Amino acid sequence: MGTEHPLSILANQAYQAFSEMGFEIGTGPELETDWYNFYVLNFPKDHPALDMQDTFWIKEDAKHVLRTHTTTVTARELEKAGKEGRLPAAFISVGKVFRNEATDITHEMQFFQIDGGMVGENITLADLKGVLTNFYKKMLGPDVEIEFRPSFFPFTEPSIEVFAKFKGKWLEMMGAGMLHPNVLRNIGLDPSKVQGFAFGGGLDRIAMIKWDIPDVRLFYQGDLRLNQFQNKT
Amino acid sequence: MKISYNWLKWYVPEAPSAEKLVDIFNYHLCEVESVEHRVFNKEEDWILDLKILPNRAHDLLSHQGIARELTSLLNIKFIDPTPKYKIPESKPTKLIQTIESSNCRRYMGRVIRNIKIGPSPEWVIKHLEAIGQRSINNIVDATNIVMFDCGQPAHVFNLSRVKNLKLKVRNANKGEKITLLGGVEKTLDETMMVIADDLGNSLDIAGIKGGNYAELDKDTKDIVLECANFDPTSVRKTAQALNIFTDARKRFENDLSPELAAFGMLELSALILEMCPEAIFEDVIDVYPKKQEGKKLFFSTDRISKILGIEVSDKEIEGILNRYVFEYVYKKGKFEITIPPMRLDLATEEDMAEEIGRILGYNKVKENIPKIDFKPKINETYAKIISARNKLLNEGYSEVMTYTFCDQGEIEVKNSASDKKFLRTNLSDGFKESIKLNHANIALLGLKEIKVFEIGTVFTKNREQINVCYGDKKNITEVSLDDFCKNMSSNFSLKPITYNLETKFKMWSLFPFIVRDIAVFVLENVKSREVEKIIKKNMGNMVIRGPEIFDEFKKENKISYAFRLVFQSYDRTLTDIEVKGVMDKITEKIKENKGWQVR
Repeated sequence: MGTEHPLSILANQAYQAFSEMGFEIGTGPELETDWYNFYVLNFPKDHPALDMQDTFWIKEDAKHVLRTHTTTVTARELEKAGKEGRLPAAFISVGKVFRNEATDITHEMQFFQIDGGMVGENITLADLKGVLTNFYKKMLGPDVEIEFRPSFFPFTEPSIEVFAKFKGKWLEMMGAGMLHPNVLRNIGLDPSKVQGFAFGGGLDRIAMIKWDIPDVRLFYQGDLRLNQFQNKT
Repeated sequence: MKISYNWLKWYVPEAPSAEKLVDIFNYHLCEVESVEHRVFNKEEDWILDLKILPNRAHDLLSHQGIARELTSLLNIKFIDPTPKYKIPESKPTKLIQTIESSNCRRYMGRVIRNIKIGPSPEWVIKHLEAIGQRSINNIVDATNIVMFDCGQPAHVFNLSRVKNLKLKVRNANKGEKITLLGGVEKTLDETMMVIADDLGNSLDIAGIKGGNYAELDKDTKDIVLECANFDPTSVRKTAQALNIFTDARKRFENDLSPELAAFGMLELSALILEMCPEAIFEDVIDVYPKKQEGKKLFFSTDRISKILGIEVSDKEIEGILNRYVFEYVYKKGKFEITIPPMRLDLATEEDMAEEIGRILGYNKVKENIPKIDFKPKINETYAKIISARNKLLNEGYSEVMTYTFCDQGEIEVKNSASDKKFLRTNLSDGFKESIKLNHANIALLGLKEIKVFEIGTVFTKNREQINVCYGDKKNITEVSLDDFCKNMSSNFSLKPITYNLETKFKMWSLFPFIVRDIAVFVLENVKSREVEKIIKKNMGNMVIRGPEIFDEFKKENKISYAFRLVFQSYDRTLTDIEVKGVMDKITEKIKENKGWQVR
């Protein structure tokens, strides 16, 4: 029996936690259009908010970027579900994302993001808190608490930052909020009829916190010393 | 944005302690990135570095902005400085300003004569240094104080360089050159905007940085003040193209209210009067072609509650609106508010939900698991990945992940922070490196052979696909995920393998390791673990792996056991000599047993 990469183990665990709450798994391209990466998500053109993303743009192709978040997948899947008349619906995806920034022990140009969203008639911030509390308890243990703090993302309103209390310390875990009405409109939904939440954060970060892995770059060295987790059988 | 606690206290005398402010900001406004304790001339101060959110950058990149927010949030007194900003007398002016670019939304100018350039008063130096700014001279400092105090960038020209007292805001000419303050020359084009004099000299890149042509010198007596407002997109595009980062740019690109310019001019004039009591002020010229429109916003208490998932009452909302000095009309659960000019971020009901949510505090939101009968479908790509991964794991392959970026490929990224600018066209190349690395560590890993796999995306022109790559030192196979799963049974298990997640991760040593083998001949009735016991007892604390038996054979009435030991330290490079010392000791102890022999 071979050994599995810790991020695969954790991704599967996350998928399982969300599947139990009715989420459907979503997937999408890593080389994404600027529409799904930015503009469907209510990023204004030529706006400082674009600076938050450290984007890899593609040479000789102004329309594509390496996705900076997997909220692209959440948007694509919700759009599809809307067209198929499958609302209410909830999606979860874990996928590789890219940020154009210098690397260090907590920053890497590629990492995995866990991203999800739920849309229905009466989905609120309280539902978001319930879903994420349940998730983090499964990932980090039953003693974990979470809290929301104010934040900003173009695609959510209100926007919040999710913190989790793990081993007595509040740690920043992900960004989230209620999907902005412009986003709902952009994916063909009617914000006067449906509303919902979206969230997204690093999977690598959860792995580092959970297992006390000291350097994010260790995940992508192809080094088998990383695969320390034994299967149960 | 660095905020000096003492500066803030001018406007918020009842401000809670700096320590308490950190929590208040974190939970109700934005993240406090750091707090620095400072002592300046025996006076204590605390510098809070606030990560102002992009949707509030138009009103919170200033001490007064933060002060207004804080006093409304806590319902405490705000000291409005306006009444003390008074210019005793102002004379008619001959200054003429024209705006030729629609990207200039307001331009206010004022001539001041008979000023004296010199050092700033101590309080100015103290304020500027507290937030990491350097004092230059009284007039330049006054413009900086205004920007960090009320948020309005301001500029001062040397009047002798403003020919015929005429200022013009116009688009630059293609190829027009300007030498900026500090001496760097930039070449402009017609999408960019400058402030120019009557002879065509450009004095300033609008909203971004001043030129050295109209710079003040120590003998300057007469000046022109500028408080203006420029289109955020225009400023951003110009600054990006010219690669200029200034505090003025940062504010303008976040869409300042043109209404702020008037306050900026008032404050700047008052500061200059304080610094130069002999100064003679002329009237302000204000060119403001299209006044900022007043906007209304409607929202209902029900909708706010429905977004936040909290029962919010009319009374709570009215309390907030009063504290934030929003004019409003209330009618049967619905509010109509007049948005203050400085709150450009408020436009929709959802914006008000955020405003009310953060002011009340998101700790009011209670957890709820929605009881909805979702009908999720199976994701085919994920199913294939799980199937491929489980198959390879079962065949003894271990999983690795390598980098998407590499030295060559068909798709190249722009402006990478790294020298690897291409997206991989295959997994095999990175994979070979992984096999090499793991082979070098084979003794550390305690493996007999290295078998690995990776499932990942590769990129060719116009196409990306997920590939599966697996192999060992000799053979590497790479196929598409679809091909790999061609014969996947339709009823395969979608269940990932479960793990004991209580396992603790142990970081490995970054120092080199040394492998030593020892083979021992003993009588055939001696068990291997007896030999092992002696090795263990004498091997010291530098062995990271082993002793592991890797060979065993009989010859006549004797048996040979071969053990492998891997030496490695967590804090230094081990030497051959010290490892030899350990091996010699083990050999010696083994030989003490009658009939035992080290080969």
